[in-house]
Amino acid sequence: MAETDIDLERLYEERRARYRVLVCVDGSDESYRGLEYASQLANNPNSDIILLYVRPIDQGLRSGGLQVRVARENMLSWGLELPGIKYLKKGLEQLMTGEGMASDWGEKITHTDIEGDPLGDNKIEYTNEGGRSIVLKLKTASTIAAGILDQYELGPYDLIILGDSGSWGGWAKSLWDPAVAEKVAMHAPCSVLVARELARGKGHLLCTDGSDHAMRMVKRSGVVAGKINSHLSVMSVALDVESEPDAQKNVDAAVTELKAMGVEPVNAFTRVGSPFEEIISAGEDYSFIVVGSDGRTGLKRFFMGSVAFKVMEHSKKSVIINR
Amino acid sequence: MNQPAASVRDEQKKDSFGAKLAKLLSDFSVHYMWEKKWFFIAMIVGAIMLSLPVPDGLSREAWIVLTMSLVATILFVTEPIPLPAVALLIILGQVLLLGSASSDVAKSLWNDSVLFIMGSLMLAVAVVKQKLDKRIAWIIVRITGTKTTRICFGISVVSGLLASFIGEHTVAAMMLPVGITLVTLTSDDPKKVRNLAAVLLFSIAYGCSVAGIGTPSGGARNAIMIGYWREFFYDPSNPETQRFIIDYVTWMMFAYPMFLIQLPFVTLILFLTFKPEYRDLSRAVVKLRAQVESEGPMKAADWVSIILFLLVLIGWIFVSDEVGMGTIAILGATAFLVAGLVRWEDINSGVNWGVVFLYGAAISLGIEMKETGAAQWVAENFLAMLAPIGANEGFGLWAAVSVLTTAATNMMSNGAAVAVLGPVVLKVAVVAQESPIVIGFITAISSGFAYLTVVGTPACTIVYASGYLKTTDFLAVGWKMVVVSTIIMLLAAFVYWPFLGI
Repeated sequence: MAETDIDLERLYEERRARYRVLVCVDGSDESYRGLEYASQLANNPNSDIILLYVRPIDQGLRSGGLQVRVARENMLSWGLELPGIKYLKKGLEQLMTGEGMASDWGEKITHTDIEGDPLGDNKIEYTNEGGRSIVLKLKTASTIAAGILDQYELGPYDLIILGDSGSWGGWAKSLWDPAVAEKVAMHAPCSVLVARELARGKGHLLCTDGSDHAMRMVKRSGVVAGKINSHLSVMSVALDVESEPDAQKNVDAAVTELKAMGVEPVNAFTRVGSPFEEIISAGEDYSFIVVGSDGRTGLKRFFMGSVAFKVMEHSKKSVIINR
Repeated sequence: MNQPAASVRDEQKKDSFGAKLAKLLSDFSVHYMWEKKWFFIAMIVGAIMLSLPVPDGLSREAWIVLTMSLVATILFVTEPIPLPAVALLIILGQVLLLGSASSDVAKSLWNDSVLFIMGSLMLAVAVVKQKLDKRIAWIIVRITGTKTTRICFGISVVSGLLASFIGEHTVAAMMLPVGITLVTLTSDDPKKVRNLAAVLLFSIAYGCSVAGIGTPSGGARNAIMIGYWREFFYDPSNPETQRFIIDYVTWMMFAYPMFLIQLPFVTLILFLTFKPEYRDLSRAVVKLRAQVESEGPMKAADWVSIILFLLVLIGWIFVSDEVGMGTIAILGATAFLVAGLVRWEDINSGVNWGVVFLYGAAISLGIEMKETGAAQWVAENFLAMLAPIGANEGFGLWAAVSVLTTAATNMMSNGAAVAVLGPVVLKVAVVAQESPIVIGFITAISSGFAYLTVVGTPACTIVYASGYLKTTDFLAVGWKMVVVSTIIMLLAAFVYWPFLGI
């Protein structure tokens, strides 16, 4: 028992040292664009990509008491592929063409049975000699968001990428049935990228308020921008005209920081007004909006809300919440 | 020397363990409370209702039963806990809140309707496992030719005819691979066949769904309604009440024509909503033929299973009013097991036993609604509410009941909707001096109009598992189906049913 604990801990530490990206695939085009972004971001020996498909556990009453597995088994016996496997395979193909993944990658398949399901949890791991790995994982969980969050518990990740599943409602809607992306963004302990019409090339817009976590976000973004060869811009929003010099100071601090890292920001500007509205309108011209988030978790995050969340909720662009 | 060091290490270990535990607990409780929020909301609503003074005209027991029904409904719709757990809560509530004897509650959990639901689910697994789907598909395309419209209509008709007898979930599970195979044989690229996939798969799903109303064995909801009629109105000492025992053939006379009229509309609506990319599926049909031929000729086991299936049908139609529909269903399942055509393990993993349980508890609560007078009270208030808009009698009331049921069934499963609403609407009929049979049929049939959501009808849920459909597809085509089906049903109630002497 103790030994397995230590093993797990060691594994955890090993994983901590690597740059691990979790890409949630649901068959939509958006999720594959997210995967493409991930493959560029993680295109070095110290990075891993994990492709995840989560299927909610079937609820017997909905199918009239006949388990959906009967239909799935019937599909399998016709030689048809189930949706999750199909989506993951497509993702793998995309990765292989993207970065010339050679066939000499080792393959390891594991399977865990889940009660009442012909598939259970399945995992295929591809590793190369340099220690890079690509993992395909098919998982069942009570809800999709819970499945993604559980996956974080199994191995720490540095970034979770998921496509916007749409239907972000207001307060009432989020109480009733929060969208998957919203829930994951709220609970995940690491950075989350919500992809919306993910297009590259227009660069990242970093939004800083001068706080420590915002500065950390600027630093990390500097590293990322170097990796994927994208340009950066910095902005800060002042609540009123009097405090605009403060905002300017925040921007300057960020620019200095970036320059020290050898990254030259394209634009650096301030706006006056309501932070989240200004960020969203400024963000229209960029591919990504990057916002920092402090360490608040769960309920606190929900009740206190934050600019980061409002941006994520209302923006039409891809948003990265950096933690 | 060693000891102090060890104790310091222990201390540190304990410390970090304590901190970890505290963090774990706080994370867990926040997450847990959040995930289960609807459970707590339902419980608080229940507690508040029970602590309020009982409204005039209601007994304390009736108030408790009403509270339990409301809490159960909230839990059915929001699903914070596994649904069989709601069944357990209902049982606990009946014993602990209502003070019924435990054995009495246990007895009220089983009756012929529940036995039928269980038996027909076992039968469903047995039928799907016979692998007759390829042959059925081949027969369909042999008759219809290769035109997409004709194939879709053929699939709807055959799915419907089968589903009306053995239940929509059975046929949906059986025919799903047929639909997908035709799609994948046409093109490997899902984008090129999106609309084709939609028409083919919806032909299966809606063909099955509209058929579910056709006979008592078409779905759990029908059996539940038949059980309620017997429970509410049948009095063995009064021969007048004999008409409230609706047998298999009577039900079919009421509902089967409606199903047949709906069939062409299914294909029409689907083709108006989704324009399939391919007008002709000859390529796919040729490949399907090759697949079927590789199966070889029909084997003895195939014939035995077809004969067993026909015997069950005959049993339902001709002797079910003497021995009960549940008995026939169980007999059929047993026959398949004895003949070795299905393994118990398959049945065991293919049937969700919690659902059987849930229906038992819901029906038992429904009967309590009637016995305590709670259903009567709700019915009176419901009618008083409808009176200002003139919907408290006749056609208006029919439409109101239909709308209410359609709304409920789109939020929870159709069987649950009938189990919850049944007692109330039957009492509404009594208070409004309408025929309980007409109102009961309207409820049972409207509960099948859950075309709007994935979770509405079993056939939709099963077909959605293929991954070819989007949730928005269901909305796009579903509302048209709801409108057409409602009009057909109300016309039938107005024009056709009076001929049947109700």
